[in-house]
Amino acid sequence: MLLLVVAGISSCTKEIDLYPQSNLSTATFYRNTGEMNIALSGCYNGLQRVMTEEWTLTELRSDNVVMGNAASTSTVNRDLSDLDMFFPNTAHAGLYTYWINSYYNIRNINILLNSLEVNYNASSGSISYDPLSIAVAEQDRKKIAAQACFLRAHHYFNLVRLYGGVFLVHEPLNPADAKAINRSTVEDIYRLIIADLQSAAANGANQKFASIPAADVGRVNSWSAKALLAKVYLTLNRKADAIPLLQDVITNSGYSLQASYANVFSITTEMNSEILFAVRYKAGGLGIGSPFGNLFAPLNSGSAVVNGDGSGYCYPAVELSNQYVTADLRKAVNIATYGSGSSARLYAKKHINTQTVVRDGETDWPLLRYSDVLLMLAEAQGNTGNSVTLINQVRTRAGLPNATITNDAQFEAALALERKLEFAFENQRWFDMLRFNTTLTTIKAEQTLKDHFAVMYPLHYTNYPSPKLTLAEMQAKVTPEKMLLPIPQREIDNNTQIVIPQNPGY
Amino acid sequence: MNHKTAIMKTVRSLLVTLLWMVCTTAMAQRVITGKVINKETGEPMQGVSVLADKAKSGVSTGADGRYSISVQKGASTLVFSFVGYGAQSVLIEDKAAIDVAMVQVAEENAEVVVVGYGTQKRSSVTGAVSKYRNERMDETPVARLDQALQGRIAGVYVQNISSEAGAAPKIQVRGISSINAGASPLIVVDGQPVPDGMSFVNMADVESVEVLKDAASAAIYGSRGASGVILITTKQGKADKPKYNFKFSRGAKTDYKRYDIMTTSEYTEMLFAEAALKAQDPSITPPTGTAIATNAERAAYIIEQTLMGGKSTDWQSESLRPGAFQNIQLSASGGKRDMKYFVSGGYQSDEGMMFKSMFERFNLRTKLDIDLGSKVKLGLNLNPSYTKRQSPSENFTNFYRYPSFLPVYHNDSTAAKVNTLAQWASIRPGAYAQPRHFSSIYYSGTMPDGSLWVPTGTSDPFSSAQNTPKSSVLNQDIDAREYRLQTGVDLTIKILPGLEFKTLASAYMNYTNQLNWANRNATADGVVSRGVYIDNTYIDLLSENTFNYNKTFGDHTIGALAGFTYQRTDISREQTTGLDYPSDDIRTLNNATSIDKAGTFGTKNQIGLLSYLGRVNYAFRNKYLLTVNFRADGSSYFAPGNKWGYFPSVSGGWMVTEEGFMQNVKWLNRLKLRASYGVSGNNRIQDWAFLDLLQSANYPLGSGTGNSNTGQGTIPSIGGNPGVTWESTFQTNLGMDASFLKNRLSVSVDVYSSKTDELLLQQSAMAFTGVPQYWNNIGSLRNKGLEVEVSSTNILNKNFKWTTSANFSVVRNEIIELGNEAYLLNQGERTEVYQNKVGDPLIQFLGYKTDGVWLSQADIDAARAKGLTSSLSNVFIPGGLKLVDVNGDNVLDTKDRTIIGNPYPDFTWGLTNNFTFKGFDFTFTLQGVQGGELINGDANYNESRRMMRVFTNNRWLSPMFPGNGKTPYSTAGFNWMLTDFVVESASYWALRDLNLGYTLPENWAKYVKMRSLRVYFAAQNLYYHMASNYRALNPEGRSTSGPYASALIDGYQRGSFPIPKTYVFGVDINF
Repeated sequence: MLLLVVAGISSCTKEIDLYPQSNLSTATFYRNTGEMNIALSGCYNGLQRVMTEEWTLTELRSDNVVMGNAASTSTVNRDLSDLDMFFPNTAHAGLYTYWINSYYNIRNINILLNSLEVNYNASSGSISYDPLSIAVAEQDRKKIAAQACFLRAHHYFNLVRLYGGVFLVHEPLNPADAKAINRSTVEDIYRLIIADLQSAAANGANQKFASIPAADVGRVNSWSAKALLAKVYLTLNRKADAIPLLQDVITNSGYSLQASYANVFSITTEMNSEILFAVRYKAGGLGIGSPFGNLFAPLNSGSAVVNGDGSGYCYPAVELSNQYVTADLRKAVNIATYGSGSSARLYAKKHINTQTVVRDGETDWPLLRYSDVLLMLAEAQGNTGNSVTLINQVRTRAGLPNATITNDAQFEAALALERKLEFAFENQRWFDMLRFNTTLTTIKAEQTLKDHFAVMYPLHYTNYPSPKLTLAEMQAKVTPEKMLLPIPQREIDNNTQIVIPQNPGY
Repeated sequence: MNHKTAIMKTVRSLLVTLLWMVCTTAMAQRVITGKVINKETGEPMQGVSVLADKAKSGVSTGADGRYSISVQKGASTLVFSFVGYGAQSVLIEDKAAIDVAMVQVAEENAEVVVVGYGTQKRSSVTGAVSKYRNERMDETPVARLDQALQGRIAGVYVQNISSEAGAAPKIQVRGISSINAGASPLIVVDGQPVPDGMSFVNMADVESVEVLKDAASAAIYGSRGASGVILITTKQGKADKPKYNFKFSRGAKTDYKRYDIMTTSEYTEMLFAEAALKAQDPSITPPTGTAIATNAERAAYIIEQTLMGGKSTDWQSESLRPGAFQNIQLSASGGKRDMKYFVSGGYQSDEGMMFKSMFERFNLRTKLDIDLGSKVKLGLNLNPSYTKRQSPSENFTNFYRYPSFLPVYHNDSTAAKVNTLAQWASIRPGAYAQPRHFSSIYYSGTMPDGSLWVPTGTSDPFSSAQNTPKSSVLNQDIDAREYRLQTGVDLTIKILPGLEFKTLASAYMNYTNQLNWANRNATADGVVSRGVYIDNTYIDLLSENTFNYNKTFGDHTIGALAGFTYQRTDISREQTTGLDYPSDDIRTLNNATSIDKAGTFGTKNQIGLLSYLGRVNYAFRNKYLLTVNFRADGSSYFAPGNKWGYFPSVSGGWMVTEEGFMQNVKWLNRLKLRASYGVSGNNRIQDWAFLDLLQSANYPLGSGTGNSNTGQGTIPSIGGNPGVTWESTFQTNLGMDASFLKNRLSVSVDVYSSKTDELLLQQSAMAFTGVPQYWNNIGSLRNKGLEVEVSSTNILNKNFKWTTSANFSVVRNEIIELGNEAYLLNQGERTEVYQNKVGDPLIQFLGYKTDGVWLSQADIDAARAKGLTSSLSNVFIPGGLKLVDVNGDNVLDTKDRTIIGNPYPDFTWGLTNNFTFKGFDFTFTLQGVQGGELINGDANYNESRRMMRVFTNNRWLSPMFPGNGKTPYSTAGFNWMLTDFVVESASYWALRDLNLGYTLPENWAKYVKMRSLRVYFAAQNLYYHMASNYRALNPEGRSTSGPYASALIDGYQRGSFPIPKTYVFGVDINF
């Protein structure tokens, strides 16, 4: 009798062949152009995740910014202070968050590219479009893959500059196999970056700015790929490779300087002719708003600066504020003062606009701007007449007279300062400082930081609760080794099969 | 079951007696009368069967214990029998009156235990099964059944990780059999597995709780049995005249212990006193000015001293209140031979000690057992319940870490002061005071040392954009309503003699409706009002079909069970978040100005489980016992090809005292030896662990401000693995049950060893794979343990009885292998490290050993001169912790991390004593956990380090004033959280429960038309002993969310909530 029952029931095994009803899975998605585009939007979304931490590893460690709440000893503030003051320990939470969020998006990008059979060949250092069995038209495949390649290069470019030779992951990875993989060399990482960007530049959309279809505004295109590739070459001190790319963008892209610096960042003129690429945010309770208004508004400002109060994490260094001359139109866009008299505080204003809901701002975060292209070309060309003209183009728009440049040192100083003032709070300064070590001869990152500590010590660092560091102790922390962040301790601890080398000095 | 049989017998004998009396009145006979009493208590016994020899029928005693029986001439003996009591034969001779005192026999011989899919006589059980009968458990002043079980059953470990009203404790059977977060026992309520069974079953309805501990007993639950099975059986009616029971209790709840925290004034005074000491130390530069106390600290002192008139705010008191506990129960039961009923209704309210912490529950239960003719029986069980739970929006930690100089409400002085800022000009006395109000204001005044502090600018005494925790709590409401229905119908058909078919259809539904509401500006200025509407539906349908065959052939007794079950669970959750309402009084979604997409989502899941099961019991002369179990489970949790798991078990028993050679051993009444081996499984993993799921990840693209483009990205928290499969636990159990001294002492001992293979694990992935964790089956884990249960009747006479029951459990776990890994390291929220290493206990704390603090720079210089170096931050700072160079290589680095503790107790125990003296009864339970450590997260917070006296007493100040040389200065040196300085003992013992009652003499009760009346006082946690190095409030408290949701990370306490001390007065009335 039991057998009968069993026989009757075993036909019902479909009752346990169930699949999720409220989530798609990688096993069944990525079947056609529509789904590939949806996955691509997900990769763009991954940029937002990374941006939340990116300023703490770049702007905060540079001479642009100090951690606002010196007296506070809350964990969040303490972690930020550690970055500001150059002693992050290897288990620092922010370092890890940025790391895993970058790799999270690299994973999404790799799954997408893999589904499109767009593969990176590590030995040849090139991207190949391999035979594809699913129904995605070739021009769609190129359009999607070019954007994804750019995004992957963007992440690796930041990772390699922040952490050195990171782990090279360019295809979906089974976690069980990952423990056999060690760090790659810096050169190998740059090979992937260059291959990705060359592929993105070759296959990306190349309409001039004015002809970009409305729906594609904000997407990566051939121009943004070329500009980023130029920056990669510049970082590698391959100036000659950078120059034609930048000239191409200036001559053919249709991008241009905005007449007003304020307009570049205005939420009413988003993705204007100066923005080659930006991480975009949208307010309105969609879950894709910008958090920076609240992060950067001064602490205890209630709703006076931005609705929902500020955390005061990112205060402009006084020296930066003083470097803007009175006529400079950029200062009012970048820096404002809250409070008056002795309680007056500077705050970074660039990313703050009106908003209804906490951490739901509209303001985009520009990553590549036309003025960056101009100044990169100047940097690549060195002290030439054309280069000075390029710098002056940017100065003129800022309401400033032409720069006085009579020798190379003046040129370099003018270029470095112009970039600092132009791109304040855009996560450029830290990478600029590092790059100037190789692209310029007179500007050295370590010295810049030591000078920064000297200026800010009596104004700011002396306010830390005791026992606090002396200026000499702070300056001693600025060493060539500390220009790289440590690999997150978790990554080293977690691999018990192979030894993962930590960066020197940690 | 035993009661039922007794009643059946009684009813039957009554009927037969009546008939017999009618028929035989004319025959030659004589009448014997008498009274039957309970020998222990001296009370009359009702329903005792009295039968004369050779007669076919007898009589039963009445409520007064009296009987009257007509016996025929020639009858020689009367036999008195009652279930659970030894039958007595008395020679009639020529007596006209025979009084008898009945003696209770060891429960063992009569007791029936509930096992998976059936019941068994205690004497024939061969696995490790513990039974806990609800005697006065429901009088325990706790809201949940599992809380009442704490310390009651060997091998069942209950830990109150939170003190919030209605919060679920952590419950484990025989340690950790799995390293996956779902390693809690399977809860089965009246045959239906229900995950939250402990939270809704009304304790007063519970007849008994059985725990299937070894794999052989639990294997019948297959893939869900590896962590043990707890079977909850509710009461049912008996064929008797209606009985009514009314119970009422009411009491209060207060906090057992609070933190010793300095006020702002005390703290500032301490800073100045310390500075005065330091000034005497020539080896250092004494602090002056803001180095003594920062401007912020000085401003805070001025606020407390002048604006608040020296009255500090006690934020612990602002958080806590005395809670009230109330329990009302009403039940009726009874029935006729072919229909029995049990109906109950209950209301319980448990008001938490924290504002806005409340738990209320309404229960109804109807249970019917109906005989439909002689072949078919019908059972119906209907249990609707309604739970209302209110939770505070802020944790207790946010209160006790709050500075005392901030008032809850502005007074005249504080309002006037903050009005000087244009932004706060409209604030009036009585309004909530917020930290930001006091920022950027000029403060000046006299410091504790008498000096006048006149700063040049304004001060920010406390920088925070957040509102005070009190105003935050009072401006938010988190209310959940749970509507549950557990119901089942079963039909038992007798097919042939000994063969029955039973089919059970049962359903469990839980609909939860929750609103998390925050007023405008509830948490910070400018925050819009927010309503989060949550609807959860859980529908579980079970069809269970079993054949049961029982037959005795001479010396052989055979029982067989075969069946199949199908369980289907549908779970859905919908959440909508509305923002910006016109008023805090209007809280419906139609008034929201916008919908927050990030807080709006829905999920829907189905789980299917298809099972075949079988069991054979065999007994030879009740002396040699053998049980074989088998279950096959097919589950939707796994990918095709991995869906089926098979779980066999075998167990045997030898009733030694049944052997002929044992009959002369008088001191030993009973001895049974048991042995079992079996496999059980664990399938409690996240749904769809075999897939990499995608989730919504939209992005704005397009001109203008862009349009939100539909995007999908992978889930960032965990990665899938198509190969995941069953985790299997192989367990061997050896057991012994013995009773001695006329059954007055009985002892059960079980030893076991289990090995879990193919561990289902949220394994840490290399972060560069893009996910921090992924599901995997790796490695194996061993648990070995010993459990002892002892019960004894120490004193037994007419008026006084003293019984003791005790339990003791030891469990040790060890990782046997971890796939290819030698060890795993996992980080907690403060980057403290938990190590899982092969050959060691599952979790150990990995960190730096310390040897007090660096006493001075000279101390450091001396160490450095010997070559000691370090690449770590803040290692060489006077007054900071002095790390030990464990590996002796003269470099302090990550290689010096070593084992500094583990979260596992050495042993756990419980001890219950019960005294009855005439009408009085007194019971108390001691319960304890010995050994094991925890990491005290309080040490991470500067507020705690500065303000809690446990962290400031005897702290290092300067080389001349090094304190006790062990307590570092609050801001100096190495990160405390990575060292043994924060590892504390989690041992404790507690007077967990106490119950003192008085039962009115029966004739008094009768006078007020009651069957019985008892009044009682019950209390919990009247005394709680903690380890001397434990610095917080509740050694049972643990963090279980975030990284601590992983079973590989345990033992962290991020501040603890006070232990509740509860006491109630109650009355128990039977009609």
